[in-house]
Amino acid sequence: MNLDLRTVTGDFGLPVDTGDVVAPAADDVYELTAEVWSSLLGNAIPLLSRPVPPGTPFDPAGAWSASVSVSGGWHGMVTVELTEYAARTLTRAMLALPDETPDDELGDADVADAVGELVNMVGGNVKSLMPGPSTLSLPAVAAGRAAFPSEVHEVARVDVTWAGEPVRVGVHVPTGESNR
Amino acid sequence: MKILIADDSRVMRQIVVRTLRQAGHGGHDIVEAENGKQALELVQSEQPDLVLSDWNMPEMTGIDCLSALRASGSTVKFGFVTSEGSDEMRERAAAAGAAFLIAKPFTPEAFDDALRSVI
Repeated sequence: MNLDLRTVTGDFGLPVDTGDVVAPAADDVYELTAEVWSSLLGNAIPLLSRPVPPGTPFDPAGAWSASVSVSGGWHGMVTVELTEYAARTLTRAMLALPDETPDDELGDADVADAVGELVNMVGGNVKSLMPGPSTLSLPAVAAGRAAFPSEVHEVARVDVTWAGEPVRVGVHVPTGESNR
Repeated sequence: MKILIADDSRVMRQIVVRTLRQAGHGGHDIVEAENGKQALELVQSEQPDLVLSDWNMPEMTGIDCLSALRASGSTVKFGFVTSEGSDEMRERAAAAGAAFLIAKPFTPEAFDDALRSVI
């Protein structure tokens, strides 16, 4: 199944039934991502929509990725990928540290904590849009690019720019499952 | 007033404290717990007036912590601060004895409204 990931739309708050899977609308994922970002990080640095690039905008050596899984009435995985610079910048913002705080004063545990909380919020809000009842997993966070299991495929993707850096939010569902 | 904040994310505990301050509730004593099990123990030892708890935590979830508190006879005021704000979760929270559920991402106004309902 091929989906035009940026043109899957529906009434806000309602999952889109594409015929094969029940998936959140990419526009809704964008809206809730923007809300998470502005609530946590303020609007001083805006989150900007951007065209879907071919391939990945992330260098595996300088990226962070995080995922949460939803299981129950709906099965899926929500991922957030961002660059090392964006991850450290947003960690400083979430901890209310001065912008000039050097990177080496920010531990990887702080960055993992902040990025994990972001994917937890986006994932929790995606879960709220989908049929339930379901359970949300604890976030898994890694330095590097996300590795996706072969049994899932992407059904919604949001590519945005924050602080001049690419940020990608993805929603994935099990392949070959009706997910109903 | 003493407030116990339970969240496995240190970043989020800090954001909750900051948001309380922005909501005009900065003068309270704050106690922090990293999971539901620790929160359960700290309710006994610290006797907080209010618990603000995440839902999903390792060791013990927030809803299990609340159930254990109520089963032990504790009537401490308890509110959730969680990324899951669906009607179903709100109903589960209320049925277990929670006073409110603040959905992440939240605003200082949401905290003020919730705290005014229990103070």
